[in-house]
Amino acid sequence: MRVSVYAVEIDGRFKIWISLNLAIDLLWWSAAGERGWRGRAAEKLVLLSSSLPLGWAVKLRECFRFHKMMCRWSSEEWAAYLRDSLQEEMRREEESGGKQQGTWMNSVEVITEPLRNQEQQNCWARIDSGCDKGESESYFSSGSGDGLLDRSESLGIAADRLVEMLSGRSLLQPEVEGLLTEQLAGMERDWRSAAQLAHLQGRLKLQAAVSAGIGGKGEGRSNNNSEKAEGKKGDHSNSSSRRGEGDREYPSNSRSKWAEGDREYPCNSSSRRGEGDREYHSNSSSRRDEGGRVCLSRAGLAAALRLPLLLWRRGAARRRAVERCLRCGSVATGRTPCAACGLAGCAYCEACLALGRSRACALLLRSAASPAVRGTAGISPTVAARRWGLSAAQAGAAGAALQFLTARRQHAAGTGPERFLLWAVTGAGKTEITFPLLETVLAAGGRALVATPRRDVVLELAPRLARAFPAETLAVLYGGSQDRWVAGQLTIATTHQLLRFHHGFDLVIIDELDAFPYHNNPMLAFAAEQACKPDGVFIFLSATPPQKLQRQAHFGKLPHARVPVRYHGHPLPVPRLLTMNPVQLCMKRGALPAVFLKALHRSLAREAQIFIFVARIAHIEGLLTLLRRKIPGVCIEGTSSKDPDRTDKVTAFRNRAITILVTTTILERGVTVPRSDVFILDADSKLFDEASLVQMAGRAGRSKDDPAGRVYFLSPEWTQSQRKAIGQVRTMNSIARKQGYLNRREPSWTL
Amino acid sequence: MDTLTAWLTKVRSLLAPALLHCLICGKTSRPAAGLHGICAGCEEAIPWIRQPRCQKCGRHVGCPDCSRSGQAVPIVCNRSAVAYTSVMREMLGQYKYRGNEQLAPLLGSMLDRAYIRLKAERERGQQGTAEIQKAESAFTGPFFPGIQSARNRRWQADLLVPVPVSESRFVERGFNQAERLADVLSGRRGIPQLPLLVRTHHTGKQSFKHRAERIADMKHAFAGNPDGAVLLQFEVWLETLGKRTRPLQIIIVDDIYTTGSTIRACAETIRTLCNDYGKVAEIYSLTWARS
Repeated sequence: MRVSVYAVEIDGRFKIWISLNLAIDLLWWSAAGERGWRGRAAEKLVLLSSSLPLGWAVKLRECFRFHKMMCRWSSEEWAAYLRDSLQEEMRREEESGGKQQGTWMNSVEVITEPLRNQEQQNCWARIDSGCDKGESESYFSSGSGDGLLDRSESLGIAADRLVEMLSGRSLLQPEVEGLLTEQLAGMERDWRSAAQLAHLQGRLKLQAAVSAGIGGKGEGRSNNNSEKAEGKKGDHSNSSSRRGEGDREYPSNSRSKWAEGDREYPCNSSSRRGEGDREYHSNSSSRRDEGGRVCLSRAGLAAALRLPLLLWRRGAARRRAVERCLRCGSVATGRTPCAACGLAGCAYCEACLALGRSRACALLLRSAASPAVRGTAGISPTVAARRWGLSAAQAGAAGAALQFLTARRQHAAGTGPERFLLWAVTGAGKTEITFPLLETVLAAGGRALVATPRRDVVLELAPRLARAFPAETLAVLYGGSQDRWVAGQLTIATTHQLLRFHHGFDLVIIDELDAFPYHNNPMLAFAAEQACKPDGVFIFLSATPPQKLQRQAHFGKLPHARVPVRYHGHPLPVPRLLTMNPVQLCMKRGALPAVFLKALHRSLAREAQIFIFVARIAHIEGLLTLLRRKIPGVCIEGTSSKDPDRTDKVTAFRNRAITILVTTTILERGVTVPRSDVFILDADSKLFDEASLVQMAGRAGRSKDDPAGRVYFLSPEWTQSQRKAIGQVRTMNSIARKQGYLNRREPSWTL
Repeated sequence: MDTLTAWLTKVRSLLAPALLHCLICGKTSRPAAGLHGICAGCEEAIPWIRQPRCQKCGRHVGCPDCSRSGQAVPIVCNRSAVAYTSVMREMLGQYKYRGNEQLAPLLGSMLDRAYIRLKAERERGQQGTAEIQKAESAFTGPFFPGIQSARNRRWQADLLVPVPVSESRFVERGFNQAERLADVLSGRRGIPQLPLLVRTHHTGKQSFKHRAERIADMKHAFAGNPDGAVLLQFEVWLETLGKRTRPLQIIIVDDIYTTGSTIRACAETIRTLCNDYGKVAEIYSLTWARS
C-alpha cells in the first residue's frame, strides 16, 4: 500500500509520522479533536509525500534524525532531504526496472498554520466520505459539515475498540479486515481512520511487514540461524545480547515506550514528552535511567566485540541492508513487481506465506506493548497440588515453577522473557503440571498461551483446558480454526499461529519443544519469543530436551525442574538390547530371527499391544507379510504418514482390535495405549536419535495397570544414541529413586 | 568429533549431485529434466492434457458443455496445459492466493507446452487443408509450391491478451496471474502481449459460484482498455502487420478454464475491438488448467 508521510514540529523538534488517512493527522495536529483525542497543536507540519510506498515511508521514519537546522528548512530543502534519504531505494528500484529516479516525488508542502474551522470541517467531510487519499485535491477548499464533536468522539470510541481488539496481536492488513468483519461488523470499511487515530495516540504501531533493519543489525541471525534457534532458549548472556540486537533492529520498540508515556500523560507534561523524544532520537546512547536498558546496550556491545565476523560483515550489510520479515524474522528473499505500491521490486517473505503474504508494502499493525501482570504467589504449591490432583513428583516440579513464576518479578528488567525448563519424563503428566501455573497468571488477570507443535495435540488439549478453567475464555487456534479472531484469556495454539501475536502473553508454555516442526525452526522460535511480553515468562516442556538445553540446565544456566517419574509412581521401563540383522536383510532372506519372534511371543502371551517401529516406510509392507506368515491368527497392521486411514488404525489399535502395529516415528509421541510393548527395529538407524528412541520407549508402561511394559532395541550394532537413550532412562529412574518418588520396587522382568 | 563430521558433510555435499528444493512437494531431490524448479517425481505426476477429448474446449474428458449449448462460440478453440486435479489446484492456490511468486516461471513454462501443442495441432490441420488446396490448384498455380507450403506449415500467434482482474483484486494480490503467465510465454516465443481488456465490474471470486451464476455474471464484465497508450500501441502493432490477408491470430491467456464464460466474454470484446479497426480476428484461448 501507499501512505502519506509528513514531518511535524513540536516543541522545536521534528518527528516523522506515517499516515493512513491524512485528514485525521491534520485534525490531530490542529488540536481540533474533542474528548479522547488529546491532540496538540503543532508548530509546523511538512507534508513530505502524500503517496509513498509504505516500505519507503517506514524507512524515512526510522532513519530520521533531528537536527536544529531543520526548523529553518524550506520546502526545497525538505524535498532534497527526502531525495537524499531514499536515494538507495530509488536506485535499486531503477535497477529492477521500475520508474526513473526523481519521478517518485511530488512537491513538498509546508503547513504553518493550524487548520481553521472551515478546513477542519472539510477534513471531516473527507473522513466521512471514506476517500482518505487526498492525492490531487487540497484540504483547503471550501466545503460544509457540522457535528464535529460527535464525530471526533465516535472516532475516538472506534479507536478504543480497535486497540482492544488488536491488543497483543501482530496482524497484516487483510487479517485486520478479516478480524473486524467478524468481531466488529461495520467497522471494516473505515478502520483506517480509527487505526490512524490510535497510532497518533501511541497505542498502535504501523509498520511495514518486511523492512530493512537500520544500520547493520541482525546479521548474526541470518548467518547462524540454527545455532540461534537453540542458543536463544536459556543462555542468559546469549539471550540478552540477542535482545540488544533485536532492540536495535526495531527502533520502534523505544518508540512504543515513548508512545506509552504519551498515552498516560497526554496533555500536561511536555517535559516528559521531550525526554521521550530525546530517547527516541538517540536510541543507542541509552540515557534513560532505566537500568535494564543500559545493561542491554552493553550486552549488545559485548556480543559485537566477541564476534569479529559480525563487524567485518557490517560494511557490506550497511550498503545492502538485509530486509527481514518482522513477523517471522526470516530474510525476505523474493522481490517482485507489486501493484499495491507500484514498485518493480517489492520484497516479500517466502518463509511465512502460509499465513498471508508479508511484503515490504504490507501494513503490519501491532499494539503497543503493555507491561506483564504482576503475578502473586497467592496459591501455595501444596494447595495447588491437592486442587489439581498432582502426584508428589508433579507437585514438586509445579512448586518450583510457581516459585520461579512469582519470584522472578524482582529481577525482571528488560532482559527479555525469562525461561524455565520443565523436564518431565514420558507419561509424567506434563499438562497437569502446567495447570497451577496457568491458574496463577490467569488469576492475576494476565493472558496465557499454551503452544504445541501439532494440531492434533491442540485438539486433544483444548477440552482438558476448557474443563480445568471453565471461567476463562479459551481461544483454540490452528490452521483453519473457528476461533481465529477470538480474544481469549487462555489461548491454545499450534506454534505457527504465534506469528500473529506480538508481546501478547504474560506466560507462554511451549509443549514438546524438541518436536517437529518447532525444533530447529528459527522462524517458529522467533515467533514464540515475539509472542511473549518482554517481561513475561517462557516455560518449555519436554521429555527429551535438545542437547544444548540439557547442557545449560546441567550447568545451572537455565532454571529447570525435573519430573523423573511417571504419574503412577513406577519407574520407566529400561530398554533391552537384542542383536538382530537389519530389516532389509531379513526381508531379503524371508526369515525373521528367532530372538525377535520369541520376544514377540512372550509379549503376545501376556496379552500386550505391540508397537513395532521401523526406520523406513518402505519396510512396513515387507515386514507385515513376514509377520503375518510367522504369527498367524493375530491382527497385524501397518501405518505411516502416507496412510490415509492412520487415525482409524490408531484407534483400532487403542481399542485392541489390532494387536501388532508396525509403524514409523510418526507415532513416537502423543499416543497412549494401555498395556503396550515396544519393539524398535534397526535401532541403530541414523533416523533414530536419542530423543526419538526415548520417546518411542516411552510408549510402553504408561498405564497404572501395566506399568512395566517391555521395550526392546533390535539392531546389529550398538550406537551412541541407543546408549545415551538407555542412560537417560536409567538416570531418570535413579533420580526418582533417590528422591523417593518410586512407590514400589522396580519390577524386573527377564528374557 | 562433531566439527569433523560437519566438515565431512560439507565436503561430501561438494561432490554430491545437485539436488533442488522442489516447488511442488517441498522435498529436496533430483531435479526434473524438462521443467525448472521441480523434482523428477513431481514432473512425472503432472496431469498433462496431451490428447484433448473435446476439440473445442480442450477438455481431457467428455464435455457436455460444448455440445449442449449449441450456440456459436466466439473462440476457435481452447487448449490447456494440465487437468485441474487437486495437486494442481493446490499449486495454483499457492501461487494465486498465497502469493508464492516463485511458481510463476514454472506455471508459465507449463503454459508454454500447451502453446507448443496448440501450434503443432494447428500446423497439422493446416497441412491437411494445404494439401487439398494444392491438389485443387495444381493446374492454376504451380510456380511456388515450396513457399506456399512453408507458409502454411508455420503457425504463429500474433498477439497475447491476458484476462484482466479487477482493480481491487489487482491491488490486493499485487499481480495479475494471467499477465504473468503471458509474460513468460511472450518472453519465450517472442509474441507481443497487450492488456487490451479491463474488467468493468468486480465480479467476486468465481470459485464460489455456480455455472449459471458465472455465465450471467460474465456477460458484460469486460470492456476494451480505455487507456490511450495501450490503444496507441495496438494501432502501431496493427500497422506493423501490414497488408496481411489472413485473419489476426489472437490468444487469450488465463490461469483456468472452468465454464469458459470468462474466455467467451473476453473473446467477444476482442472481436468487437478488432472489428472497430476493420480487422478480422481468429481468437484462441490458452489456459494453464482445464477443470
